[in-house]
Amino acid sequence: MSDTETEFKSVITPPPADQIVLETRHLNFFYGTHQSLFDVSIPVKRNGITALIGPSGCGKSTLLRTMNRMYDLYPGQRAEGEILIDGENVIGPKIDVTALRAKVGMVFQKPTPFPMSIYDNVAFGVKLYHKKSKAEMDEVVETSLRRAALWDEVKDKLNKSGLSLSGGQQQRLCVARGIAVEPEILLLDEPASALDPISTAKLEDTLEELKRDITIIIVTHNLQQAARLSDYTGFMYLGKLIEFGPTETLFVNPKCEKTSDYIGGRFG
Amino acid sequence: MAFNVTQAAKNGIAGVSAPLPKKDLADPIFRAVAFSAATLLLITLGGLLVSLVIGGWPALSTFGLGFFTSTTWNPATEVFGAAGPIVGTLLTAVIALAFALPIAICIAVFLTQFCPKIIAQPISTAIELLAGIPSIVYGMWGLFVFAPWFAKTIQLPLLLSVDPDSLWGKLFAGVPNGANILTASTILAIMILPYMAAVFRELFRSVPPQVREAAFGLGCTPFEVVSSVLIPYVQKGMIGVIMLGFGRALGETMAVTFIIGNAHGFPESLFASGSTLASTIANEFTEATGDLHTSALIALGLVLFMITFGVLAMARALLSSQRY
Repeated sequence: MSDTETEFKSVITPPPADQIVLETRHLNFFYGTHQSLFDVSIPVKRNGITALIGPSGCGKSTLLRTMNRMYDLYPGQRAEGEILIDGENVIGPKIDVTALRAKVGMVFQKPTPFPMSIYDNVAFGVKLYHKKSKAEMDEVVETSLRRAALWDEVKDKLNKSGLSLSGGQQQRLCVARGIAVEPEILLLDEPASALDPISTAKLEDTLEELKRDITIIIVTHNLQQAARLSDYTGFMYLGKLIEFGPTETLFVNPKCEKTSDYIGGRFG
Repeated sequence: MAFNVTQAAKNGIAGVSAPLPKKDLADPIFRAVAFSAATLLLITLGGLLVSLVIGGWPALSTFGLGFFTSTTWNPATEVFGAAGPIVGTLLTAVIALAFALPIAICIAVFLTQFCPKIIAQPISTAIELLAGIPSIVYGMWGLFVFAPWFAKTIQLPLLLSVDPDSLWGKLFAGVPNGANILTASTILAIMILPYMAAVFRELFRSVPPQVREAAFGLGCTPFEVVSSVLIPYVQKGMIGVIMLGFGRALGETMAVTFIIGNAHGFPESLFASGSTLASTIANEFTEATGDLHTSALIALGLVLFMITFGVLAMARALLSSQRY
C-alpha cells in the first residue's frame, strides 16, 4: 500500500450489526491490470433500500456487478477481498454461481425482456429451479406482476411478446421476472435512467413496496431519487467508498467535504 | 463604423447569402434511376421465367404431369421423367441441412460464448477461407479423396454387416463406390457449413450483452442461456440463414455432379447413385441433340427455379408468422 492509500479512510456509519445482510470487506476489483475498486467495505441493511451514488466512472456499477459475480462472464476481470452474504464469502472459489444469482437478482439500465411472451418472461426464471403446475405458475406470475405494479396493465395480454410493451413497462417486467425467483437481494443498475418521469415514479413505488421483504441495492445518477427512496446511501468517488450512512445524515449533514461538494452540485 | 441593419438583413445574418435554390431536376432524375434499377430486376426475373417456360414447353406438353412423376429418363428413346432428379435434389439438400445446421450452430455458439479470444480469430478466418473455396475444388476433393475413403471405411463394412432384407439393409444398399446420395449430401453440408456458421456468429454477436447478462443474472447455466434466450432472440435471422443455406444446397451444381453418381432413376437408398436437377443439366447440356431433350433440360431448370422460389416463399411465410 502506498502512503496516499493508507491516508484514506471511508467514513462509515453502519446499520445495526444484526440487520446486515450483505457486506463487502476490503474489496478490490480489477479490469485486467486496471484497478477500479479500492478497499471498498460497505455494509448493506436487510430489507431496505441502499443507494450508491457518485460521478460517472466512480465504480458504483462495478461494485454492484461484483455482488452477483456478473464479472465472471468476462475473462480478465477479477475481485479480491470478501463479499459476505449471510456470512458466506460469495467470491470464494467454491460458490455455486448459478445459485448465488438466484439469490441475488439484477435489473439493468436498459430493459432486457426476453423474446417470449409476458407470461413466459416472468415464468422463465422460476422454471429454472422449480417444477410447478400450471395453476401454481399462474399464481407466481400474477403475484410477481402485481408486486411489480404491472399486473393491471398486462393482465389481458399475457401472451403478447414482452418486447411489445413500453420502456417503463418492460423495466417493470424485468423487475417482476427478477422477483419471481424470490431473491433475497435485488440489484438495480440505474433502472430508471431510460424511463420517463411517470414510469420512474411507478418503478419507485414498486421498489418501496418490495423493500419490505427484499433487500434492494440501487445505483443511481439521480440524487433526488437516492434521497427519496433509500434508507442508506453510499457515496463513491474514483473507486473508493468515501462516505456511507443513513440517507438523511448523508444528504443533510455529510461528514466529508467531497460528499457535500458532490451533493451540493459543485462537481459530478 | 455603424452597423448597417438593412444591409445585413439583405445579405442574411453575418453576411451569409440565402441558401441556393435546389436544382429542380436532380431529384426526379435520381428517382427515375432508382426506379429503373428496381424495374430492371423485375424484368430480368420475369424474362427468365418466361424463357424457361417457353423453352421447357415442348417437353412439358409432351409428357404432361408425367414429367414430374415418371422416373424414366432416357435420352435414347426420348422419354423424360424428372421424378428422380427432383427427389434427389430435395433429398440431398435436406440431408445436407440436417448435417450442417447443428454443427453451424455449435460453431457459432462456441465462437461467441465460450472461445478464448486467441483461438477465436484463427477459427473465424478458417471459416471464411472454407466459404471462399470454389465448389469445383470441393467436388474434386469429394471424388478423389472423400468418396473412396467413404466407400472403403463406411459403406463396405456397413454393407457386409447388415442384413440386406432389413430396413437398414435397404437404406444402405448400393454399389460401394462412394458416388452416392449420402456422400453428395455430405459434401453439400461441408459447403454450406462455413456460410451458415459465419452468419450465425454475426447473429449471436448482435444480441445485446445486457440480454445475455440478464439471463445469466437469473441463474441460467450457459446451455440455458443459449437455448432459451440467445437462439430465440435471433430466430428470425436464423430462419433466413437456414433457407439461404438450403437454397444454396438445392442449386449447387459442380461438386454434386462430381460425386452423386449421375443415375437418373429414383434413388432407392442412401447409398444409391442419384442425380439432382442441377447435376443433370450440367451433365447433359452439351450432349442434348434432340429438341425434346434440350427442352426437357430447360424444364428441369424451370422446376429448380420453382423449388427455390417455393423455399423463399416459405421462409417469408415463416418469418411473418413469428410472434416475438
